[in-house]
Amino acid sequence: MAIRKFAFLVVLGLMAAACGNGSGNPTSSGPKHGGTLTVAIGIDPDTLDPAAQTTTTASQVVDMMVERLYTLDSNGATQPQLASAMPTTSSDGLTYTIPLRTGVKFSDGTPFNAAAAKAGLDRLLNPATFKTQPGVLSVIDTVTATDDKTLTVKLKSPFAPFVAALTQTNAAILSPASLTVNGNTPAQVKVPVGTGPYVMKDRVNGDHIAMTANKDYWGSQKPNYDTQVIKIVPDDPSREALIRSGGADVIVSPPLSDLPSLSSDSSLKVLKAKSDRTLQIIINTVDTNQPLLQKPEVRQALNYAVNKDEIVKNVMFGNATTLDAPMSKTLFGYCSVGTYAFDPSKAKQMLQAAGASGMTVKLGSPTGRYPQDIKVAQAVASYLHDVGVTVQGPETSDWPTYLGHVNVPPAQAAFDMHFLGWAPAYLDASQQFEQFRPDRIPPKGLETSYYANPTVTDLVTKAAAEVDQQKRKDEYCQASKQVWNDAPWIFLYNQSFPIVYSAKVTSVGAFPNEKFDTRFASPA
Amino acid sequence: MLTYVARRVLVSIPTVFGVATVIFLMVRLLPGDPARVIAGVLATPEDVDRIRHQFGLDQPLYVQYVTYLFHLLTGDLGTSTRTGQPVTQEIVSRLPYTMELAVVSTVIAVVVGVTAGVIAATRRGSALDLAISALAVFGLSMPVYWLGLMLIILLAIDIHAFPAAGAQNPLGFVLPSITLALFSLALVARQSRSAMLEVLNQDFVRTARAKGAPLRTVLVKHALRNALLPVVTVIGLQFGALIGGAVLTETVFSWPGVGRLLVDSIFSRDYPVVQGVVLMLAVAFILVNLLVDLLYAYVDPRIRYS
Repeated sequence: MAIRKFAFLVVLGLMAAACGNGSGNPTSSGPKHGGTLTVAIGIDPDTLDPAAQTTTTASQVVDMMVERLYTLDSNGATQPQLASAMPTTSSDGLTYTIPLRTGVKFSDGTPFNAAAAKAGLDRLLNPATFKTQPGVLSVIDTVTATDDKTLTVKLKSPFAPFVAALTQTNAAILSPASLTVNGNTPAQVKVPVGTGPYVMKDRVNGDHIAMTANKDYWGSQKPNYDTQVIKIVPDDPSREALIRSGGADVIVSPPLSDLPSLSSDSSLKVLKAKSDRTLQIIINTVDTNQPLLQKPEVRQALNYAVNKDEIVKNVMFGNATTLDAPMSKTLFGYCSVGTYAFDPSKAKQMLQAAGASGMTVKLGSPTGRYPQDIKVAQAVASYLHDVGVTVQGPETSDWPTYLGHVNVPPAQAAFDMHFLGWAPAYLDASQQFEQFRPDRIPPKGLETSYYANPTVTDLVTKAAAEVDQQKRKDEYCQASKQVWNDAPWIFLYNQSFPIVYSAKVTSVGAFPNEKFDTRFASPA
Repeated sequence: MLTYVARRVLVSIPTVFGVATVIFLMVRLLPGDPARVIAGVLATPEDVDRIRHQFGLDQPLYVQYVTYLFHLLTGDLGTSTRTGQPVTQEIVSRLPYTMELAVVSTVIAVVVGVTAGVIAATRRGSALDLAISALAVFGLSMPVYWLGLMLIILLAIDIHAFPAAGAQNPLGFVLPSITLALFSLALVARQSRSAMLEVLNQDFVRTARAKGAPLRTVLVKHALRNALLPVVTVIGLQFGALIGGAVLTETVFSWPGVGRLLVDSIFSRDYPVVQGVVLMLAVAFILVNLLVDLLYAYVDPRIRYS
């Protein structure tokens, strides 16, 4: 018995030692370093192949190891990463000449140069690459290595947000030599090798991904933790439990309702990072089941009927900002276009004038896709009920089923209105306007309001090819105003992306597109 | 005996084939386009089409079915559409974690459950019996999800005795095993109690006592041995359920087992992995049932398979 007790104490001691990560060796100046940083995320990355990335959480893990020609800064502005400066663009907007950094090496020792950059982009465009997702980058016609430090990219048609689109993880540059080792093939990469501050160590599917610091990292900022372990903890309360018990140093997306108590815990810090995700009730603007929704004044009335500020305060626990434009503030092309202040009596009057008093609508919402999703949908239903609208639902299901229900052409629409979030892959208004372009109506895209306004379409088409950035901005601003007045959505809010980290850690950051940033975190 | 085993294995082949067919159709009946789910909401139509083609989901259903069966015959479960890894490798990498929980919690359930059941039966009507019965009802009715979180709060957050999540810590298995064991434990305890009560009332027990055999011997060698048959059945069924039923426990404790693989695969409409895991579970159930039947002969020598 005594032996057992002793063993138990030894194990406890070992655990305490394991929990006391990152004791840190202070240097004369600059950040402390050493130890292990444990970060808990909610999803198990399907693949670490940059070309096949679809979620920001998995992308961020890849970003720690593999870098792109351009990146975002913490404010969301585009900055050179492996490029040495912004590119020069030909006057027809078709040719981009990108100067590259010199003296940079991949973590396997292969030098980074124009040939490697070309191979990276070509691989993304190659249909043989497993699950490759070039998306808008399929606008690229040819990629040429002009010389060792210059890359020339020719586009099929002018595409103004091209540099912003290069900030996506799928445009990351892998070491060409790594494509045939460690189980990698040119078609499918399991162990990504890049120029990033961390290097892949091991992975246990469903449990964790471990990375070690790249000692020869080229950047001015250096990785400070020797090891970073990304733990897969799918359940929100379990992630919270993990950081409270000392089993993790950083967690993303804790349960929103617990943020006040997490904020008041002196051993923890809460970062409410910006996100580019807007949440809205999308209205079927060509609805034949409830034709009243085809009238803009009815849709405007629904906007007046819903108290968004109260939803943000009480359902989202303050972790969101009420929308004042059909996109988040973090996008290039954003301008504030107005508000639909909560005014139920005005809503009632407008509905009555339009002959829509007491109309019936069917509402859909996913469960578990966005923070508080079904609860927000229920709150909206209750506000609509207060102005005399009969709401059937919210009918709800898991995400893939729900997506199957809403991603349908107008003739098969299952709901009159449905709850959906939209988060641009790069921070440009063109990505948000994918939601207001008739050429993106399913099955061609996910424009599920089926909204079409020629004025908006013209402005968006012009802006996509506009070289003058100020003009582009103005065009998006004008288009936003039109969308706001046509009200294809009940505009709700722009959510934030909460990150909780231990007070023993410093320099935890985030990008405004729901990516956490622990690359240069260090012991406090 | 061997003939019996061979016959049972042969008989189960149509069952496996039936499961393979039903699950093939069922995953395809689920709403939601796998190519769109995997490509994400921002994907262009070209991206979605390319992915659909890479998975062979653009082929007619019968072609997919024939290809699937043909591969199955050669032992190939296909390639995960979520991760691009062979399904067999996906399952094999997760199975040890699930087996660890299933075995440990079964051991806990059997040892504690049978002991509690026997004690309750021999002290029928006592306060102890009542307490055990009450605890068994608690165990049967507590949601795994709630129980898991309570254990985490008490034993991981408040007193730091065990890790809250993950399989890398050597003590990581303790909390999920206890959580998982409780339901089976309660079931085994109740089953043992009622089986023991039935046996204890029989003549041979009275005879044994009358001969002057010590109480312990009578309980363990005479009564328990005879009460084991229904208990073994329950344990077998529970073990089968544990292999597949650990979904919630694995989620709460971030345990990288087969249950979570199945859930992740269903939510990403990863047809090959869902098919593979369900087939594996079917085979596991068949094997466990066979084992239980063989155990009967050992527990009760009157039963013979020839």
